Amino acid sequence: MTLSTTPELTEESRRSLLNTMVLIRTYEEAIRREYYADKMPAFDIGAGLVPGEMHLSAGQEPVAAGICAHLTADDALTATHRPHHVAIAKGVALRPMTAEIFGREDGFGHGRGGHMHLFDPSNHFSCSGIIAEGLPPALGQAFAFKRQGNNRVTVAVTGEGAANQGAFHESLNLAALWNLPVIFVVEDNDWGISVPRSESTSVTSNAVRAAAYGMPGVRVEDNSVEAVYAAGGEAVARARSGGGPTLIEVHTLRLWGHFEGDAEGYRPELKSVPDHDPLPRYRDELLQAGGLSAEQFQAMQDRAVEQVEDAIQFAKASPAPNPSEHLNYVFSEGVNS
Amino acid sequence: MTDVRFPQMTAAQGATGILVTWFVDSGDEVTPTTLIAEVAMDKVDAEVYPETSGTISLLVEEGAEVPQGSVIAQVN
Amino acid sequence: MTTAPTGTNQSTTLAVEPEPGRRKLSTAKAMQEAISQRMARDESVFVMGEDVGPYGGIFSSTTGLIDRFGPERVIDTPISETAFIGLGIGAAVEGMRPVVELMFADFFGVCMDQIYNHMAKIHFESGGNVKVPMVLMTATGGGYSDGAQHSQCLWGTFAHLPGMKVVVPSNPYDAKGLMAAAIDSDDPVVFMFHKGIMGLGWMAKNNRAIGAVPEEEYVVPIGKARVAREGTDVTIVTLSLSVHHSLDVAEKLEAEGISVEVIDLRSLVPLDRDAIVRSVTKTGRLIVVDEDYQSFGLSGEVIAVVAEHDASLLTSVSRVCVPDVPIPYARELESIVLPTPARIEATVREAVAR
Repeated sequence: MTLSTTPELTEESRRSLLNTMVLIRTYEEAIRREYYADKMPAFDIGAGLVPGEMHLSAGQEPVAAGICAHLTADDALTATHRPHHVAIAKGVALRPMTAEIFGREDGFGHGRGGHMHLFDPSNHFSCSGIIAEGLPPALGQAFAFKRQGNNRVTVAVTGEGAANQGAFHESLNLAALWNLPVIFVVEDNDWGISVPRSESTSVTSNAVRAAAYGMPGVRVEDNSVEAVYAAGGEAVARARSGGGPTLIEVHTLRLWGHFEGDAEGYRPELKSVPDHDPLPRYRDELLQAGGLSAEQFQAMQDRAVEQVEDAIQFAKASPAPNPSEHLNYVFSEGVNS
Repeated sequence: MTDVRFPQMTAAQGATGILVTWFVDSGDEVTPTTLIAEVAMDKVDAEVYPETSGTISLLVEEGAEVPQGSVIAQVN
Repeated sequence: MTTAPTGTNQSTTLAVEPEPGRRKLSTAKAMQEAISQRMARDESVFVMGEDVGPYGGIFSSTTGLIDRFGPERVIDTPISETAFIGLGIGAAVEGMRPVVELMFADFFGVCMDQIYNHMAKIHFESGGNVKVPMVLMTATGGGYSDGAQHSQCLWGTFAHLPGMKVVVPSNPYDAKGLMAAAIDSDDPVVFMFHKGIMGLGWMAKNNRAIGAVPEEEYVVPIGKARVAREGTDVTIVTLSLSVHHSLDVAEKLEAEGISVEVIDLRSLVPLDRDAIVRSVTKTGRLIVVDEDYQSFGLSGEVIAVVAEHDASLLTSVSRVCVPDVPIPYARELESIVLPTPARIEATVREAVAR
């Protein structure tokens, strides 16, 4: 079947990719600031306005921007415990997302879910804190879209560590067997918390595993948003046209710790990590190529700060959930009959 | 009086099957759409329906081995 | 459509309604009929699981459905419970109504994350914004020498974890009504059917596995128990196959002037606590008969319900469960651990003697 061509990148679309990356980075930096603000000097994970675990996606912006550029609000995406970058790139609204991260009543889940359990039905976006377990429900969304006869697709984001979990293998087999319109995106950021890929994975690339399950697999080696964009475009087009699933593995970068508070003593290359930051690299590429001016970049940053701070203020102003409602939402109200 | 027979489930002569489950009791009113029994032969199950309406009398026990084609019940 | 037949009493004490009529089905056929009727009127209902297609389900839960609805709507899966149960979840999130079969409840170990961390929690975590209108049906129970990994009931485990409704029918009438209610529900419902109540031709069956079932569509409300037999001397709170054994014992002891009330729970989540308390208030003696493991489960929960309400109601409390041991293979051993009529009878006698 003929795949529709991935739209060529114009200067404007390149700036758009960069803008998404800037927005994500600005957001993660702001959340990081808020997260630590009231937990120090002695780090207490349960303290402060944003208690609990926090998994930030700085360094992984190219995956989110490159893949989600091909998606609409009607396409579905399931993400992991590290969801903010793909949520933002998918178009999830910052205010209810941030309010949920802050555990407030105006959050997507009225404070019930928190940062690892963000659900935006209008964008068919969800995430889960259990490794690899976001893949099976993504199959179901793809199954429903296929059954409904539209050309919507589902993206299932996961990590290289998750690629050794049973759910990953079951999902790849079933997606290929049933020819589902799903794109598996494996973010290989080298580290499953503190265990490097070389010590967890029997193959050097999960694209190899894709072939074993009967679907195309591609590995993007250099955390380049444009390379992700190209691979993503082909995969999404394949899925939309009934060509079935694809696996894209991106060798990306976890710029910070697995969780906030992670001292990363296990990471020998720690000092050189910032040198590989994909954001200034892409900015410089565009500046050099002439498709971006310093003023335009500044404007992107300013706009991002504005949006992010607005969302944070919204979250802080939102009330805490009412304790007397702690039993709400276990079951739905009505019965369909 | 109409005979209800164990269905022909195989070409083999003299084959027998099992009357597995009765769904009615003697004296019940039945119609052609009333499920009256489930039978089995060589691990294949079949449902049995009467071809007429009336009062049924059961002639074999549940679990009995029955030659195919033989009468298992009668409907008045 | 949920029908209230004309002239039927809508009281909460729940007589069997609508009237069953004269047509009898096995529990398996009643389940098939419920699924079939819902599939006929709602395109979004589909069935998925291992061997549910031409085979009709290992315990005949789906016999005949593929002939009527075709392989697009009655779907055989690979042996990938995590993947296909998760697929059911995602399809439900996008507006479909899957009926997914977990072949044996014992297999929950390979897929429990999708069940309890996803199916059961998505509605809550999303603040009610995402629904998972899915039925997970599964076969439970022992008594035919299938050994430790294929004979468990496990409803206590599912009932213990918040976010999923759990229904356990004991008879054909309730099986059809609860399956219809489960499919109608916007919540995830775990529908647990004991193999011994299915009326299968290849397994010893209790005569109540065949029963009168209305031909029309109807629901049995989730969360309501039923008084299977009224009595005054002792309350047996029970479910599933044990309802039949309890009724057999009650009928026998009637002749000796011992009056046993049997409460068929039908649902565990929500649990009909009022029905339990009402009965024990009347009799003062509580026996829980539960084929699940004894400790840390349903039987303790039922007793706690009464004790928290008013412990002084109870002049006697006992339970007949599977002890805390894996279910043995040898028939002599299995028959000791199961809550048999003999154990139930002995427990009733002992309770009324106090």
